[in-house]
Amino acid sequence: MGRSQKEQELLLGTLDMLILQTLVMGPAHGHTIAHVIEHTSDNVLEIEQGSLYPALHRLEDRGWVSSYWGPSENNRKARFYRLTAAGRKRLRVETHRWSAMVEAIGRVMGTARRAEE
Amino acid sequence: MSLRRYLRRREWDEERQRELEAHLTHEVDDNIARGMTPGEARRRAYMKLGNPTMIREEIWKMNSLVGVEELGRDLRYALRQLWRSPGFAAIAVATLALGIGVNTAVFSMVNGLLFSSMHIQDEQQVLMVGLRQNGGSYQPALSMPEYQALATQTHDVFSEMFGDQFGLDGLSMAGNKPDRVFTDYVTGNYFDALGVKPLLGRFFRANEGMTPGADPWVVLSYAYWKSHFAGDPNVVGRQIALDGIPVTIVGVAPKSYRGLSSILDVQAYLPMAMIVPIENTPLADYNKQSNRNIFAYGRLRSGVTRQQADAALAVAGRDLARAHPADEKTTELRSFPLAATRFTGSLDQSNSFARVSAIFLGLAGLVLLLACVNVANLLLVRATVREREMVIRSALGARRSRLIRQMLTESILLAAFGGIAGTGLGLLGSMLLSSVNLQTDLPIAFDFSFDWHVFVFDAVIAMAAGAFVGIVPAVRLARANLNLVLREGGRGVAGQGHKFRDALVTIQVGAALTLLIIAGLFTRSLVQSEHMDLGFEPNHVLTMMMDPGEIGYNPDRSLTFYKDLLPRLRAVPGVVSATTAMSIPMGMIDNASDTLTIEGYTPPAGQAPPTVANNVIDTGYFQTLQIPVVEGRQFTDSDNDKNPYVAIVSRKMAEKYWPHQDPVGRRFTMASDPTHSLEIVGVVADARYGGLSGPIAAYFYTPYAQHHSNSLLALEVRTQGDPAVMAPEIERTIHGMTPALPIFEVKTLHQALYSPNGLLLYQVVAGLAGVMGTLGMVLAVVGVYGVLSYVVSQRTAEIGVRMALGAQRSDILKIVYRQGLWVVGIGLVLGLAASFGMARVAHSMIVVSPSDPVTYVSVTALLAAIALLACYVPAHRAMYVEPMKALRQE
Repeated sequence: MGRSQKEQELLLGTLDMLILQTLVMGPAHGHTIAHVIEHTSDNVLEIEQGSLYPALHRLEDRGWVSSYWGPSENNRKARFYRLTAAGRKRLRVETHRWSAMVEAIGRVMGTARRAEE
Repeated sequence: MSLRRYLRRREWDEERQRELEAHLTHEVDDNIARGMTPGEARRRAYMKLGNPTMIREEIWKMNSLVGVEELGRDLRYALRQLWRSPGFAAIAVATLALGIGVNTAVFSMVNGLLFSSMHIQDEQQVLMVGLRQNGGSYQPALSMPEYQALATQTHDVFSEMFGDQFGLDGLSMAGNKPDRVFTDYVTGNYFDALGVKPLLGRFFRANEGMTPGADPWVVLSYAYWKSHFAGDPNVVGRQIALDGIPVTIVGVAPKSYRGLSSILDVQAYLPMAMIVPIENTPLADYNKQSNRNIFAYGRLRSGVTRQQADAALAVAGRDLARAHPADEKTTELRSFPLAATRFTGSLDQSNSFARVSAIFLGLAGLVLLLACVNVANLLLVRATVREREMVIRSALGARRSRLIRQMLTESILLAAFGGIAGTGLGLLGSMLLSSVNLQTDLPIAFDFSFDWHVFVFDAVIAMAAGAFVGIVPAVRLARANLNLVLREGGRGVAGQGHKFRDALVTIQVGAALTLLIIAGLFTRSLVQSEHMDLGFEPNHVLTMMMDPGEIGYNPDRSLTFYKDLLPRLRAVPGVVSATTAMSIPMGMIDNASDTLTIEGYTPPAGQAPPTVANNVIDTGYFQTLQIPVVEGRQFTDSDNDKNPYVAIVSRKMAEKYWPHQDPVGRRFTMASDPTHSLEIVGVVADARYGGLSGPIAAYFYTPYAQHHSNSLLALEVRTQGDPAVMAPEIERTIHGMTPALPIFEVKTLHQALYSPNGLLLYQVVAGLAGVMGTLGMVLAVVGVYGVLSYVVSQRTAEIGVRMALGAQRSDILKIVYRQGLWVVGIGLVLGLAASFGMARVAHSMIVVSPSDPVTYVSVTALLAAIALLACYVPAHRAMYVEPMKALRQE
């Protein structure tokens, strides 16, 4: 609540992107998604698992993922999420935007580092 | 977010719950696999995920339309709250309904008079042409040659120019007695230009109405077709006669269209030139450059502004002046909106009905203000009682804005109920107003039926009232220190409410005083005008109207008819004297006035030549009305068209134009008859013919035998006994001569004074103001009493302490009274100021002085006394507070 709207948007957007990226490998349920993000980032991105579900809900609402109930790897029932065509397209847009931003920030920071030296 | 999701959000939530449980199970499984104990595994899983309820709530919120949902909840809660205190709800709704009802009734009247639709296509595109001469006031009438000149010259600005003129004629069916109807002689393009479509048959064609007698067709109004032809669907093609001239019914107008006259409903439409044979108009008069009877209208071409139309009319006016210098030298033309003539003959005079409407809306507004203040008070008391409820809700996490919105929802809900009930009450009131007996057989248009304007108005004032009554307690709540309330153990923050309450009482007293004073002024005006010396004696006089033209008599034959009739009537036993006149005092027909050229009198520089009201009368007039002849002589039978033309003037006219001189023997000329110079043969005392307030106007009389073109006359008969009893005998005498002649408006002169032009206006106005004043007073008294009672009950403990410390009962009385006196006093002062202001606006309607001391002093004293009485009861109660009891209550 305390964060400004803009900041929140940026973070939300990032989480959305991470989720979509995780699902490129195939359908997964919420628990798996959380673990995959944490593990692949070497536990740097320790997402608050609670915020995962509202994000998934939002993505589904926008038609970027679809969901279904199925058996999980240890034979429990779980809700699986799958990337839709619109989601794939969205991921491409997001990835592009992200790399553009990283590059831009990198350039700024690069200048900063040179100045320090 | 879809609506489907919103509606299925419960199901959705259950699924989320299962999903989260699945997540937890997986996490627990993982944790156990890492070697934790099941308890620890579960605890860590929960820590990692966060609060599942919160997550579910977040998703739930994403699925809901927040506004709708909260509003729904607020409404449900508000309904429950009102349901729990039905007494409060009923009183509040009833009070608001009264206020809104009064406003609805008044607004429906104003709407009917000023704003209602005429049911024509693009009403605002239709303009009316006004003409003035000598820089006088604009009149809506043109002559036939003027109309024709305009119709050809304004083609660039008006897509259609059309016109009409009104008449009263006798309509008869196959040998029946004729029935008098209000007729409209229209140009052929009239209906097409208005965009009105016939209900049955056809309307006129563009080429009809040009040649006298060529198009013997008639179109009936819907109402007349229903009432006199029983709505016969085969009426088209039937032959009827108007003033004896046969015409064929070609169509019926739709129900909604009632003509462009806002005073009378048109009953039959005829092609314009049919007025020549029907009303026996000499062709020379019909085509006379200065005979102005036609109302001319233009429909603006799309994209043309009124300024452009006015410019074109100004050019046309100058062309007229050049072409006909004798009749048009000073003619000027201008356009006016169609509504400009509503209830005023003249176009550019300030509309007195607009003024009356403003006053009544103002008074009704005051009643609503009083009602709102009362309800605000009730809500304020309730808010104090409910403070604990609010504190608890806020302690449970409700934001303050939420609580304020809740309070406002309650008050707007109250107002909505009040609005619905008020609309019903208003409908009743408006029906009462519409059914006022206008004492006339003329088809007067007095239709206050509701249209969407009224409903929109109601919705708006109900919402405004709701916000107004709710805002006070809501703001108070917003300011209240909630912790203080809790600590004070429910005694509330009553102290803070004093200023609000005092202000409310002040408003109430002030508004009530204004209402009562205005009502008082109107009532005194009615009483005074009923007993006013009108300059004539209205008792023992019978009046009735007739027009031999309606049975086909030409003006000469009508003159002979009246000449024969009067001696016969004078011979009837019980008749003192009898006469005829073109118009009767306070009457609505043929109140003529004329522009005069007076020999030896030049109007002051920059002023138009005088326009003076006049009457055409027969011999015996001044005996019948008992108007004293001051100087010279009355008209005699020898004042006919073979002898010099003469006139009699009123004393006022004599003083105005021949000051300190003898007017007898002087001469003047009427603009309508420039060929005859009139010699003054007598002076009579002043008499009031129209308008009961203001100074008496100048007036003059001419003899019927010299001005007999108009045969629609009022018979006036002075009787020894009750004039109403004589009516059948008089009618028998008339019908002995002409069995078929329609006689109408049969009434005593005293009754005739109660016309919309005379006392009736004051009667209606005084009655309405009286009702509103009484309502206002009751509301104010209840309000003052309620507030003071409440204040006393809040201060019981304090009073107990004071008494325990030795205060006398009289001291207590003083404390309570002093508070009341201040508030009432300030209210009275404000009310007096407001009354002065309003009376100033209403001065033209008030016969007594707008600052009539009798009214101001007596009404103020009355209201002060009643207000003090309302203070007394709670003060008295405070005086007898038992100190011990009061303290124990704590």
